[in-house]
Amino acid sequence: MFDILRTQFWSLTLSGIALGFIYVLISMGYTMVYGVLRMINFANSEIFMVGAFASLLVGRDVFHYTMDTIPPTGAKLALVLTCSLIASMLTSSLVAFLVELIAYRNLRNRTSNRIAPLITAIGMSIVISETVRIITKARAIFAPRILEKQTLFVFHGADIRLDSMITIFAGLILFIALERFIKLSRLGKGIRAVSMDEDSAKLMGVNLNRVISLTFIIGGLMTGAAGFFYVNVYENVKYNMGFSLGLAAFTAAVIGGIGNIRGAFFGGISLGLLEIYASAVVGTQWKPVTVFVVLILILLLKPNGLFGEAVQKTRV
Amino acid sequence: MINLRDKGAEFWDRSNRPVRVLTVFVMLAAIAALPYASNSFLQTPIAAFDAVLVYPMGIFILMAMGLNVVVGKSGLLDLGYVAFFAVGAYTMALLGTHTGLNTWEIMPFGIGFAMLAGLILAIPTLRLRGDYLAIVTLGFGEIVRIIAVNTEKIGGALGIAGIPFPPGLGFEYQLLDQKYFYWTVLVLILIVIWIVRRLSARRPGRAWEAIRQDEDAAELMGVSTYKYKIWAFVFGAAIGGGAGVFYASRSMVIAPDNFTLNTSILILACVVFGGMGNIWGVIVGAAILGYLPDRFRFLSDARLLLFGVVLVVFMNLRPEGILPRKKREKKFTSLQTEEGAK
Amino acid sequence: MSKPLLELKDLTIKFGGVTALDGVNISLNKGEILALIGPNGAGKTTVFNLITGVYKPTSGEVVFNGSRISGRKRHAITKLGIARTFQNIRLFGDMTTLENVITGTDVQNKVGFIGSMFGTPRSRREEKASAVKAHEILKFIGIDEYADRLAKNLPYGVQRRLEIARALGTQPQVLLLDEPAAGFNPAEKVELAATIIKIRDAGYTVLLIEHDMSLIMGISDRVAVLDFGVKIADDLPSVVQKDPRVIEAYLGVPADAS
Ligand SMILES: Nc1ncnc2c1ncn2[C@@H]1O[C@H](COP(=O)(O)OP(=O)(O)OP(=O)(O)O)[C@@H](O)[C@H]1O
Ligand SMILES: [Mg+2]
Repeated sequence: MFDILRTQFWSLTLSGIALGFIYVLISMGYTMVYGVLRMINFANSEIFMVGAFASLLVGRDVFHYTMDTIPPTGAKLALVLTCSLIASMLTSSLVAFLVELIAYRNLRNRTSNRIAPLITAIGMSIVISETVRIITKARAIFAPRILEKQTLFVFHGADIRLDSMITIFAGLILFIALERFIKLSRLGKGIRAVSMDEDSAKLMGVNLNRVISLTFIIGGLMTGAAGFFYVNVYENVKYNMGFSLGLAAFTAAVIGGIGNIRGAFFGGISLGLLEIYASAVVGTQWKPVTVFVVLILILLLKPNGLFGEAVQKTRV
Repeated sequence: MINLRDKGAEFWDRSNRPVRVLTVFVMLAAIAALPYASNSFLQTPIAAFDAVLVYPMGIFILMAMGLNVVVGKSGLLDLGYVAFFAVGAYTMALLGTHTGLNTWEIMPFGIGFAMLAGLILAIPTLRLRGDYLAIVTLGFGEIVRIIAVNTEKIGGALGIAGIPFPPGLGFEYQLLDQKYFYWTVLVLILIVIWIVRRLSARRPGRAWEAIRQDEDAAELMGVSTYKYKIWAFVFGAAIGGGAGVFYASRSMVIAPDNFTLNTSILILACVVFGGMGNIWGVIVGAAILGYLPDRFRFLSDARLLLFGVVLVVFMNLRPEGILPRKKREKKFTSLQTEEGAK
Repeated sequence: MSKPLLELKDLTIKFGGVTALDGVNISLNKGEILALIGPNGAGKTTVFNLITGVYKPTSGEVVFNGSRISGRKRHAITKLGIARTFQNIRLFGDMTTLENVITGTDVQNKVGFIGSMFGTPRSRREEKASAVKAHEILKFIGIDEYADRLAKNLPYGVQRRLEIARALGTQPQVLLLDEPAAGFNPAEKVELAATIIKIRDAGYTVLLIEHDMSLIMGISDRVAVLDFGVKIADDLPSVVQKDPRVIEAYLGVPADAS
């Protein structure tokens, strides 16, 4: 039962970390929004899915690569990757912006009913994924091969692959950029102020609607980037792909203490690892169950996340 | 938009007892006669009209009434409601194919197991904040389905076939003419209406309303909020389980694919569309939303899309649904008219 | 003298770094009206929150009828006989006035979910008795004519009084009123003062938070004063009124300087 885990430990670890970075980026769409709204962004899984599609479409329809064409190299590779990344980030942030506008803003000013915005957000999520389902006829779409899965070097018998390494490094850069931005920029300070205390933030002259909108957009940028990485590692997309990844990323955010950016980083990486190790032991079909069990346990035992109060101060 | 509920209530208040009895009788008769109207504009193009009356319409109404207690009355957003439906259906399927028990004998087991599932889910999660509850129940619904898919003993992804029809009482339940199924589901709906209405007017109904409107104030006014939230969940689960038993017994075959998250969302849309918290609204809403995709071919593939749009549009523009919860104030209006008469 | 009905012993509570209450001792005797006053942010509402179990004290305890109640569940405390109103009105807006009060009476009812569902004789008896009781309370408070109106549509003054009626519905021994006259004009205040006296004379014990001095001096048997979480006075109204520390707390300057 543990054979696979033992023999392929290092290559599993690498995939786990790469998957973890995808979770970290998606979880930004949950954790930042939660910070300012105290509400779950239920449509974030679809924001991710749309970003993945955008990335795929750029490679396929703009640069005309398919699964069988020879992958680009050098400058061309960099160009294609950059364009796909930008497309996925922009598409996702646009959708995130619309979600906020339609599902949250209108209701925020009109009703104190807390479940109303959640219901509209779920509605948005259904509308987006169903539209994509109907367009794609519910089929999985295979991504063109852009990033060759070449082995960079071998470590303890594990192939260290280019796509995983790019995900890890680029993901890390994006995360650090976001973290610095929240810490240092004016907007970041606005977001932090709203997270801590909405009323006094308002008194300090923070434009609440603007800050919330921008939070969705920034969360969307990160979530979209996750879509890009996902496409290049897993090379296929489907209308319902957001569900399990969204649930996992949300769990990552909860592990770290929802609203806490650094916590989500830790949560994402550890969940990615846990999921890959657990799949090797009990089989991939139980992956969502593993994630869900982790979520329940955290919520019951440590509802403020693993870091409790200490890291809570560095909330967004 | 006109307030249908107030119009109806006004009529009800004006009428005396014989008129009321007659109204109810005529309406029930008209509703019971629906299967005979299948060759009219009501006819559905793909499935037969009498079958559509049973599923989705009848079953959706049952489930929507159950979910309404949880979401509409108590304000607990449960996105995994389909899990209880699944528990009921699988109980029927397993007991129906492995024991000699008939549908009505299995019904208490189906309801009981669904309640047990509700209790197991409720005890840890109802202490959580509202939106955590939503995502945990959502996960729970999916987990139940994944377990079903991966457990070969209960048929795996293929599910279970050969589930027996309910035994007839001087008549035979038939596949090609489902009016007996329809009348049965009608009776089940009436029973649920009766129970929900008496609960609503009594202590549990007040507790649920108080919890939905202001949980802290409710607790401080002596409402044992945890206990009544659990009851809301378990009671909702019971109705879902009962609906599941009946559904499995009518469909003869069930598979995990019948119990996806989508079903939970569809039922939620029925509740929102009809009017959260108002049983009549929820019934009408579920009937309409159950019917439309079968009536109009172009909607049948876009069913879920339609329901998503309903969620977004209604929550934004008419959060009280087509039949809002009570707004009229009996004595006040009569007081005003008295004052006016002076 | 007999033992006090409700005792706050050395109550201290901290929120993060802020000490909202610091070693507060207050005792409430059966049948009296005790006014709790103090400047904004002094910690008066926090006292209510500690008594009713909204917060757990950092140290100290609340004793009711000789037994410790801090740490108990909120609804259990209400059932024991302590009921409150809210400074910012928190009625069940979508219920009628009558239903609001009946919801309060439910805490003393024995019937539960199953009994209600099956409509047992006890359930029917209790439902009926609750409705009768609720109407009595509404008449007592003087708002029975609004019985069938939705709480959210009531005039402001009626909402405030409904808060009191709903609390009375739970059949408490101690009634905690948090600024029940907030936003009232002088005539309404006089009326409310009469109501509070009537409540006391009906056998309830009242702990009253209020800012209006003339109202307090008129009706309270005793006045306790909080300032920055510390009790600075606790005596007869006439004595407290002249206490230099109280005057200072209210005016922000030493009494002799003014
Ligand atoms: N949950 C809480 N978290 C942090 N601080 C709190 C909390 N509750 C109360 N406080 C603080 O405790 C202090 C006392 O508040 P409290 O509401 O008891 O004042 P009050 O005497 O009722 O004032 P007012 O007359 O304005 O109603 C205030 O400084 C308040 O900010
Ligand atoms: Mg106060």
